[in-house]
Amino acid sequence: MFFPDNYEFFCPTKINSGKRALEQIPFELDALNARKPLIITDKETAKKGLVKKITGAFRDSGIAVGIFDGVPPVPDLELIRGLANNYRDAGCDSTIAVGGGAVVDAAKALNIVVSGRPEDLKAFAGEDLIENSLRPLVFVPTPLGTGFETSRFATLEELTFSSPFLMPDLVVIDPRMMTAERPAELISTAMIALAHCAEAYTCPAKNPMTDTYAYAGMRFIGENLANVIRSDDKDGRLALANAAAMAGIAFSNTPRGIIHEVGWALGDASGLPPGICMGILLPYGLGYRMNSEGYHLSDMLLPLAGAEIYVGTEENLRARKAISVIREMQHDVRDAAGGDIPLTLKDAGIAKDALAGVAGTAAGDGAAGFSVDDCLVILEHAWEGKSITSS
Amino acid sequence: MNEFREVTPGGKPFKKAYVALMLWFVGRAIQAAAKVDGDVKKEFEKLPEGFTFCLGVMPHGPYMIVGKDRKERVKYMGWRREGRSIDLDMKIKNIEAAILMFTFQEGTAVATARDRMVVDGEVPYACAIVRVLDIGEVYLLPKIIARLAVKRYPVWSFGRKYIGRVRIYFRSIVGY
Repeated sequence: MFFPDNYEFFCPTKINSGKRALEQIPFELDALNARKPLIITDKETAKKGLVKKITGAFRDSGIAVGIFDGVPPVPDLELIRGLANNYRDAGCDSTIAVGGGAVVDAAKALNIVVSGRPEDLKAFAGEDLIENSLRPLVFVPTPLGTGFETSRFATLEELTFSSPFLMPDLVVIDPRMMTAERPAELISTAMIALAHCAEAYTCPAKNPMTDTYAYAGMRFIGENLANVIRSDDKDGRLALANAAAMAGIAFSNTPRGIIHEVGWALGDASGLPPGICMGILLPYGLGYRMNSEGYHLSDMLLPLAGAEIYVGTEENLRARKAISVIREMQHDVRDAAGGDIPLTLKDAGIAKDALAGVAGTAAGDGAAGFSVDDCLVILEHAWEGKSITSS
Repeated sequence: MNEFREVTPGGKPFKKAYVALMLWFVGRAIQAAAKVDGDVKKEFEKLPEGFTFCLGVMPHGPYMIVGKDRKERVKYMGWRREGRSIDLDMKIKNIEAAILMFTFQEGTAVATARDRMVVDGEVPYACAIVRVLDIGEVYLLPKIIARLAVKRYPVWSFGRKYIGRVRIYFRSIVGY
């Protein structure tokens, strides 16, 4: 097992998962010195009755809660200012984000505002510009998410915030919140989590702590994703929500990888969910890194395929085998979803001449450690569906 | 901003009443078991003079207080914790976790392993009380339920189990 000379790992997030986990929230808030939370979510989540389940968990606690269930798909600064006024007027001291994606972005942005001054929000956009811990933030996932919720990142309009203080203090994963969703949305979340786990587990900056989270995340996704789509298995949904939480933590402690950056840029350019983009790119991105110095692709076979296949595969073939296991899993998942999930960029309707622009955006100024050419090779192979390891 | 509102969630009176009843009965059963069962007696003998413990539900109860009086007798001391010096405070984190325990869906050991409880006090005392609670549950419950509630169902003689059960039920009901 890889052991670096030195490393840092930061995770302030407590995970509370399982039966009746929601009812632990009042106790945990008390431990965080919070007495009045603001629950924020979107209309879709509220319509499913999931907010009632959260408020039900506060019965007998003597705690009053504020509720805002109107977070739009793309929250803006005006929404955050309004929310901050509600938060202060109601005397709230903590936030509970229910759902995923935009809701958690809004909750993180709100938390910056209510922990500082509203006019300061733009000043905190960027890398590590939040210097102190924020008010308590609890995240309750539903199957709909982006896989970034437990991470150190938040986006609002054109602003990107990155700070370990944006990671939630508590993630509460309860089977009652794991309602059935459309397969494409579930797959998108799972693929982001898998891409983050895979990049955290194989990158040169990995460490034993990120390995632990990424290993468990990959195992949960490999074992459960296809079953959940086929049979709506609640325990499997719980495992996937755990995997997404773990992926966010691993991702927050390793540099952003090429699959993440290209997938994100591709999602922005094409309008496809970033998770679907990262899922398509995953085998190609990993294949591209197979012979790169410092990458640990062969280690990935153990969590993905189990001990029997791992020991039965020669060491020099394990990386290739790991990629083929991911491909098999993706085909299995696509079949389970009724064949509706694209596995190449061509199938996804991406024009080939758009790839160069995406590669340019993803590579940025090169600070991330990969070039436009690196991104373009991956994109072109993913467009054609041509295995990158054979090129 | 009309999507904003404030809610004060209500209580769970029926669940609280059920747990309060169970705690009341278990408290009296522990008092009875300390007179009837040798193992329970020995566990309490090892505890310090005047030892008092509380088992209850956060944040507002119900509670059960059991302790040793001046004559070293084990007594159920009611449900009011105000003004009492508690040596061992075992609190179940919420009423739903208490329901899981007192409907025997989760045993004491499993509930502890799942972080359903907070214990304030010495760990050896807590272990002794968990053993006492386990013995109490074996007396009070039929085997099919008790084996869900205790860590390991014991093998006891007919006399200890059934005659002891009758004596403990009788003493619990009359409060003797």
